[in-house]
Amino acid sequence: MTFLRLQVVGVLRRCCGRPSSSAALKCHYSGLPTSSFISTPSSALTSSRALSTTWILRKDVPQPKDEEARPKLDLDVWKSMMRTVALQEDRVKTKDKVEGKLSPLEATRMLVDAWRLAGRLVPDSLTDEQMEALSKLTTKSSKRKFLKHLSIKEGYKKAKMEKKEKKMAERMERADREGFDVDSKADVKLKNTFLMKFWSRSLDTLLFWRSAQAMQYGQPLVFDMSYEQHMSSHDAKNTVSQLLQCEGWNRRSVDPFHLHFCNLQPNSVYHQELLKRYGQETWERLFITTTSQRHVDIFPRENLVYLTADSPNVLRTFDHNKVYIIGAFVDRSAQSGVSLANAKRLKLATARLPLNEHLQWDCGAKNLTLDQMIQILITIKETGSWEKALEFVPIRKHGGFYEQKTENSVFIRFHQWYE
Amino acid sequence: IDIFLFCNTVLKFRSKPTEFRSKPTEFRSKPTEFRSKPTEFRSEEHRPFRSVFAAGTARRTAEMLKKREGRAEEKEEEEEMDRCSVRYKASSQQEIPDRPLSPEEWRKLRDDSSRPDRFPGRMLNLMLAAGTDVDVAKSLLAFIALDSGTVPYVLLLKYLSLCVSGGHHSEVLDTYDLMKSCFKTLDIGAYSLLLKGISRTERWREMLPMLEEIKKIVTPTRRNYGDAISGAFLNGDSETGWTLYNEMMELGLEPNQEVWQCMFNSATSLQKDKEKLLDILIYMRENQVYPQEMLVKSIKTWFQSLPGEGWTGRFSSVDSRDRCGSCQAEMESIELTEEEYSQLKQRVMANVIEGRDVFFKTTPQELQSFKNFVKKSPAFDVIVDGLNVANISVHGPKSQNLLAVVSELCDQGLTILVLGRKHMMQHSKMWNRYDILKIKQIAHCFFTDNISKDDPFLLYAALHSGNNCKFVSRDLMRDHKACLPDSATRRLFFKWQRGHQLVVPWYVPGKKVRFQRELRYDTVVQSTPTSWHLPYDEDGEDRSSYEIPQKWLCLTKQH
Repeated sequence: MTFLRLQVVGVLRRCCGRPSSSAALKCHYSGLPTSSFISTPSSALTSSRALSTTWILRKDVPQPKDEEARPKLDLDVWKSMMRTVALQEDRVKTKDKVEGKLSPLEATRMLVDAWRLAGRLVPDSLTDEQMEALSKLTTKSSKRKFLKHLSIKEGYKKAKMEKKEKKMAERMERADREGFDVDSKADVKLKNTFLMKFWSRSLDTLLFWRSAQAMQYGQPLVFDMSYEQHMSSHDAKNTVSQLLQCEGWNRRSVDPFHLHFCNLQPNSVYHQELLKRYGQETWERLFITTTSQRHVDIFPRENLVYLTADSPNVLRTFDHNKVYIIGAFVDRSAQSGVSLANAKRLKLATARLPLNEHLQWDCGAKNLTLDQMIQILITIKETGSWEKALEFVPIRKHGGFYEQKTENSVFIRFHQWYE
Repeated sequence: IDIFLFCNTVLKFRSKPTEFRSKPTEFRSKPTEFRSKPTEFRSEEHRPFRSVFAAGTARRTAEMLKKREGRAEEKEEEEEMDRCSVRYKASSQQEIPDRPLSPEEWRKLRDDSSRPDRFPGRMLNLMLAAGTDVDVAKSLLAFIALDSGTVPYVLLLKYLSLCVSGGHHSEVLDTYDLMKSCFKTLDIGAYSLLLKGISRTERWREMLPMLEEIKKIVTPTRRNYGDAISGAFLNGDSETGWTLYNEMMELGLEPNQEVWQCMFNSATSLQKDKEKLLDILIYMRENQVYPQEMLVKSIKTWFQSLPGEGWTGRFSSVDSRDRCGSCQAEMESIELTEEEYSQLKQRVMANVIEGRDVFFKTTPQELQSFKNFVKKSPAFDVIVDGLNVANISVHGPKSQNLLAVVSELCDQGLTILVLGRKHMMQHSKMWNRYDILKIKQIAHCFFTDNISKDDPFLLYAALHSGNNCKFVSRDLMRDHKACLPDSATRRLFFKWQRGHQLVVPWYVPGKKVRFQRELRYDTVVQSTPTSWHLPYDEDGEDRSSYEIPQKWLCLTKQH
């Protein structure tokens, strides 16, 4: 019926022109100066042309603009729909207004809910700890960044969960199709071979024996854990991740160092984070010496060398009798020279790696991460070759090794490190 | 005006610019005013005043250096970047319809797009960026409402920002009513937008409860307050405006310049209004805020409109005799008072030199030995930053440049202290032992460790040698200024620096050493009973935060 009506309308319009057809159909208020029609989802767009009564070529007649010709759209229908929805909801529930001053935690909760509604990157759920940390942040931008970080982390977890469920669903489906039991390991085929399986357990035992030997006879390497005040909590967590990696690389090397964690106060951020990452049992079984004493008190001062990128002295050969100290520090702060300041205070010898001497430096900080440092030290200890050791410096930071050492290398040494 | 002129041959690895001065003759004048001060610096009066701290110097220097490094390479890079951005735009840009579409057309567009569920949000973002017609957005919202029954909060918010930026007041009000009725509480972003939008309409009084809502969660921003205050003033209610302004000042937020402009434009000639507006000028003085050209024009019109007082305003600049160009009044001196000086001394010692840890910049032993050295020595007239001065020219050994500058200062009969590092004493190609010996004969010297920073020692010596001790360095000392704890001390440091730092802008070995004169007057809003002088930023002038404006508004009262 509607379709017929529109056809009739189209014919009428073509015969009579616009003004009469507009009178024939309903008008609806839309705030526009010209009249408009209600558009239903099934309305077809009809076009019309102006009738010309003179003998002018059709293409010379000015065609009306498409906007005027097409039926007008109701642009405010959404407003009326929303109002009706609001009225209905009003009858159902009473609005509860929040009066007076809110506590910081409640204010933060309201902020999070409002931002979630407004479409900002906000996680779906926050733990109490996270809510506490959020309310301690003072500025709006720091809150926004923290929430964005949490929402991204949550996004990863959700994606992982979805993948896992999808895999499980596929497995169930396959099980139904092929008619075998999901839980049994019957699909693992036994291999017929004379080679015995090398269990990872055996490798672990071997490495632990080696670490134990290193603790008795090996060269000590100290990680100085006194930089809590200079790092944010995020950086402290990154430091502990790097320390875990260091321990792993050291254990797997041919001749491990005897690792010491010095200045590790019992309830410091480092200690808590290490316990969280390792777990209490593993932490106690680790082949690392951890102490809250200073490295100056444990080792004789002549043997200590503090490795820091700000030192003026260059380490040319690896000395197997010295005890090298590395600051357990992710150096993202604006203040540079923190580790050098520590070494100066204790009047220790300092050294830096010969990065300028062997690499064409491109761009990037000369502060290397802890795992890169330990790999360099392990390699230089085993091989004595800086070319092999400095391969662990990230490639993006340098443009390659200097090919051969010519006389110019003497002047490279004089490269004004001083201003 | 370019200081440098370059010759045509430029080698690839080392550019050898030959530098010509703009005036061929050298002129030394000894004006009578200088004789009264204890330290004299012979400098040229008739030259146009150039200073490292003048507005626009940093931008000009950057452009000159860019020219030096080769324009051709940069042009290529820019073209490539343009090409890349054009390619990116063409591939990712979804076209915004130029007229309101019907729901079917929108549905077709949505189904054709790459992410149908994100389509409305992205389309609205594009519309906001391009500033399209409101009707197009309304047709999109109509489609969404018909499709899903309701319009989500996110899209309403984006639509609201489109209306506010386009200035469609009726739409803003409609959307506000809708949002209020459909949603319990709005988020802070919505309130900020509404403040901006509603303050220009007739329902502006509803801004005030909104401001209260924002206050429950966070402190309202400068922009929030600014919109509210300008709305109150534009709609004629100056009482509310002033209350909000006082609230804002109590919170320590500095108002935008548009707010001040609004206040000056809508001020009446009542006495209390006049006092409040003069308070604004006093605030600008105390916080070293420089008005922009628009604001300064409003201030001028307001002053000139005050009945019976006969103010006249003229734009001018300060001439080389430190007098206003139009009324010949002397500008305020840049000298610090006694308490300001001692406060600065103490703060620099505590924060710049010692800081959180003395070992970052030096060691306690070195600091103590330097303090003893300064106590033993006579009061210095000028302190030279050895390393900085040695690098003023790329030609020749550095020690010779240093020697030239020190000899020039010695010829003027001054007690000099040269600060350097211990490696300067070792004979090398750049540091000639004989030059250093000659320097030691004509000046006091102190050499710090190679790993210590020498600038804090310079500041310590300059501050402890008294108010008339100057220092020579091209370093702008911004990193040391940043170590100071609060902005008042930083302003004090900057004031002291402008009045005491001598800069050697360039030097050609063999020629005479010339110093850029230090400033003698303070560039800040200043007043006398019959005049007001306001320094202001011109439109289009790119002034860095460590520079000061050169243009002034001079307001004088005729009896």
